[in-house]
Amino acid sequence: MTGLLQKDLYLTRSSLLIVLPTFLVIGIGISVLSTTWVLTVLSTVMLGMMAISTVQADKSSGWQQFSGVLPLSRAAVVGEKYLFYLLLSAAGLLIGLVVGTAASLLSGRGDLNELGLYLTISVSMALLSGGVALPVNILFRAEISMLGILLAYPLSAGVFILLNLLIGQREAVGVVASVLGVILYTLSWYLTGRMMARRDLT
Amino acid sequence: MCDQTIPAALEVRDLTKHYAGFTLDGVSFCVPRGTIVGLIGENGAGKSTTLRSILGLIQKDGGSVTLLGQEEGERDPVLREQIGVVFDGSHFPDSLTPRQLGRVFARIYATWEGAYYLDLLGQLGLPMEKKISAFSRGMKMKLAIAAALAHRPRLLVLDEATSGLDPVVRDDILDLLLGFVQDEENAILISSHITSDLEKVADTIVFLHEGRCIFSKPKDELIYRYGILRCGAAQFEALDRADVVAWRRRDYQFEALVADRDTARRKYPKTVVDAATIDDIMLLYAKGEIV
Repeated sequence: MTGLLQKDLYLTRSSLLIVLPTFLVIGIGISVLSTTWVLTVLSTVMLGMMAISTVQADKSSGWQQFSGVLPLSRAAVVGEKYLFYLLLSAAGLLIGLVVGTAASLLSGRGDLNELGLYLTISVSMALLSGGVALPVNILFRAEISMLGILLAYPLSAGVFILLNLLIGQREAVGVVASVLGVILYTLSWYLTGRMMARRDLT
Repeated sequence: MCDQTIPAALEVRDLTKHYAGFTLDGVSFCVPRGTIVGLIGENGAGKSTTLRSILGLIQKDGGSVTLLGQEEGERDPVLREQIGVVFDGSHFPDSLTPRQLGRVFARIYATWEGAYYLDLLGQLGLPMEKKISAFSRGMKMKLAIAAALAHRPRLLVLDEATSGLDPVVRDDILDLLLGFVQDEENAILISSHITSDLEKVADTIVFLHEGRCIFSKPKDELIYRYGILRCGAAQFEALDRADVVAWRRRDYQFEALVADRDTARRKYPKTVVDAATIDDIMLLYAKGEIV
């Protein structure tokens, strides 16, 4: 699996050099209007999406078919995508946290009490949307995969709104959404691996 | 089915796969160790379906596949370490360089030999730091073969690996393949439309037509014994049908495929009996009437 991680890192490395400065510019702009901690959500989502893009890259290059003859189980090949998504999202969260903290100190804005909330939003957004976008991209063709990505993030936001209506307290909503995200992501990982094991790779 | 005196690298028995509009129907053949088996057939005959079923890329509907002595089922990683695969076209990410690809495979294959891989790249004249996207088709195929050989497989499976390549590149690749089977523990299964390549390197030819295996014969028997008998209508009617494998009518003559051209020349001296190429044999089977 480390070989697959290395391949995906090579695939995303050059894009990172473009995405990170873009994130800084957009993020700083948004944080002026809102709170600096929004940067954690933005960077987590942006890097997570880069991980998802490697699924389509594998399909278009023919690597997905080739991976079927490697000395790795189909579950391991699928698992690598889920792991890579987690790693990039975590990296995004860390970058957002560092940049957000720096922005907060420089601007004097950014309530530390809100940091916990935005961290749980980042984690739950990553897990909920990844739990939908990854299997859609892995299992379906490009047009449906694009639809999956477009729907995954609004669906995650929808979960937040629903929980907020049900629970009311923001911090609790964040924690509950994160727990739901962990459950959905784990289930998605397991089921996608099982489904790919039976699928014809053509 | 397989010669029990020579261990088989691959044994396929009654392989069956159903698609809408096409069925791979009971295909059986053998790839003995130390040999090259060429898989031929027209477009849509089932060559790629056969190879993908063997490799476990698609679920078969019937039959059995024994790879390097192991029955099918979940292909364990140790077995897959011993199988090298080359598909038609590049299946590697275009944005990687050969060196980066080598590093990736070194972490995937336990038997990967980095020095041998770099040596192969040098032999094949492939630049290590150039992105695969900038490679020509021939270069991509050479890279695929280098990657397939570098983990020291026992069985190489190639699906149309030489199609679209110029004769010089094809010759380089065929040399590599012949070198691979010098080790009599190794074997190659290669599907190709370029039958002249198979005439150079294959030991056995397996012919698929409309999802069925029509024959699996030694190449030498096909090249040195089979013949095309050409004659007029009256002479054709006089032929003993037991001597004819397949036939078809052309504009002004009949063409009959015979399994023993020397005997046919003696028996039918007033006809023209030429040596048959694999293409000739394929055409008569595919477009003619089989007796």
